[in-house]
Amino acid sequence: MIGCYDFCGHYEWTFGWFERTGGHALVRDYWNEAINHDSQRHARDLIRHGGIPGMLKYWGHTLAEESPSLGFNISHREDVFRIDFHDCPSRGFLLRNGLKNYRDYCDHCMGWTGPMLREAGYVIDHEHDHQGHCWWEMRPASATGGHAAPGLVAGAKDVRLRPDWPKDPAKLDRYTKANDPDAKMK
Amino acid sequence: MSTPATPGLPYTDTKPQGSPDFFYGINATFRFMLQRLGMDGWRRYLEELGRGYFAPVNRQWAEGGLGAVARYWRAFFAAEPGAVVEVVEQPDRVEVRVHECPAIKHLRAGGREIVREYCQHCYFLGSARAGAAGLTMRLSGGSGSCCHTYARADAGLAPQDLAQIKEARS
Repeated sequence: MIGCYDFCGHYEWTFGWFERTGGHALVRDYWNEAINHDSQRHARDLIRHGGIPGMLKYWGHTLAEESPSLGFNISHREDVFRIDFHDCPSRGFLLRNGLKNYRDYCDHCMGWTGPMLREAGYVIDHEHDHQGHCWWEMRPASATGGHAAPGLVAGAKDVRLRPDWPKDPAKLDRYTKANDPDAKMK
Repeated sequence: MSTPATPGLPYTDTKPQGSPDFFYGINATFRFMLQRLGMDGWRRYLEELGRGYFAPVNRQWAEGGLGAVARYWRAFFAAEPGAVVEVVEQPDRVEVRVHECPAIKHLRAGGREIVREYCQHCYFLGSARAGAAGLTMRLSGGSGSCCHTYARADAGLAPQDLAQIKEARS
């Protein structure tokens, strides 16, 4: 039986299997069709109908369940919803267990949330360092400009204020007002 | 690779049980594969997952025999929320008697359309893993309760009849 306890492990293995079987297009389709439109349809419904309060309801529940030690922080205002991951439960599982079958596991988050938020009328600013640290800001699609300054939305809990947050931009994957997992700026 | 914190489980987390909403992801993955790649593609995925991702477990079984199989399934189901399972050791086999399948239970509670072939995954995956460990595996029942049998190759189990595996019902 495939279980939920080590889900992140076989989920990551599956990305590599899809890429070997049908290339990058099949991996993208999987994230959008199977995860966004099927598995996470409860998230889609909440956010399409509820906007930022819907995001709070979805991520507030799912992150508390996945990461009871609260390795994350949620901030929100009328015009922005933000999550800072200081210890991503999903990436952390892979790092602790030495698992890697796909070139960049972290891409899956933008792979399903990007299309989901586009359908709901939002864009994403995001950076991750592949070490279990990342941040997300979700704003209405009419938003323009670059990333908000560190601390502006999350205060002292902004992950970019960590001493181990990379100073070298080349170590970060970055998205600006994006919805596509391939819109990555290195 | 880190040292397992739970004997019998090769991959371990910091929390004692998984998040049951991940069963939505497993069910959706199966549906996507069956639609895109057909039964043969789905079966190939499960067999390769069984021999690849689960290789550390298979090695434990090959080295530890049926005792390792029993320890693994006890640890496995202890980490699956909602599971009601009994693991029975006999001289030539281990029976994993699933009285309440955690996946089917949670998918039903969440109002999800369960892939009708869902229960077959336990056979295709389990058989590949058993084969890698020099064992055989059979499955009967399904749709919420079933019995997995892992046996020594000389146990003389009858061939698997896929008709003995019930379609999963939502």
